[in-house]
Amino acid sequence: MLLFRSEETVNQWCAAHNIPRRPLVDLEQLWQLAVHWYANRLTVESRRPTSDEMVSIFNSLGLTGPFWDPKSDEWR
Amino acid sequence: MPKDDLATKVKLAIYEMTAETGRVPNSSEISRRIDIEENEVLTVFGRLHAKRLLLPEPGDPRQIRMAPPFSGVPTAFPVEANGKRYYANCVWDAYGIAAALHCDAISRASDGHTGEPLTLEVKAGAPVLKPYVAHFAVPAGHWWDDLIFT
Repeated sequence: MLLFRSEETVNQWCAAHNIPRRPLVDLEQLWQLAVHWYANRLTVESRRPTSDEMVSIFNSLGLTGPFWDPKSDEWR
Repeated sequence: MPKDDLATKVKLAIYEMTAETGRVPNSSEISRRIDIEENEVLTVFGRLHAKRLLLPEPGDPRQIRMAPPFSGVPTAFPVEANGKRYYANCVWDAYGIAAALHCDAISRASDGHTGEPLTLEVKAGAPVLKPYVAHFAVPAGHWWDDLIFT
C-alpha cells in the first residue's frame, strides 16, 4: 500500500508497473482503518479483526464490494 | 503455562520492546526478556504467524520481519514518535504506529511514483489531513498471500 500525492501519480505508477488501478483511500479513511486495526495492539486483548468485522469496518468507511471482502475469490 | 497465555506474553513482549526502543526484537531477546526458552518463543512465533499477527523473516525464523504495524527492517515509511524512530510496513501502518502508541507522530514518506517527499502527521489523536491518497493494489482476501508485496 503506497502513498501518492494525487490520483494522477497513482495512474502513472500503475501504467509504469503494468499494475491494474485499484481502489484509492483518502487520509481520513486510512486513519480510521489504522485506529480500528491497531488502537489496542499493545494490550492483552489485541487481535486482528475477523473477516466479518473487517467487512463491517470497510463498509462503515464507504469501502464496499468484493475487493474489500476478505472471503471473496472474485479477484483471483 | 497454557498456550494462549504464553502467546499473549510473547506478543506483549514484542510490542513493548518495540515501543520502548523503536526496534523489533528477535527471538533471543524476547527469550531473555520474559525468561523462557528460545525454542518456545519460536513456537509462539509460528502460532502468531498463523493468526496473522506476525511475519517471521523469510529464511530466518528468529527474526521478525513484521509485527504490524511495525517493520523489523527499515522501510520507506519511517515514523517519528515519542522521540524515537520506528518503521512502518506501508502507508496504512504509518498511521497504525501513531494509533498503536496513542501519540503524536510524523512520517516523512514519499510519493510512490515520483518520489516527491510527502509528510503524514498525527496530532492530538487525529490526522493532519491532506489531499493525498493510498492505493491498495491487492484485494483484502489476498493481503497475506505475499504480505511483503502487499
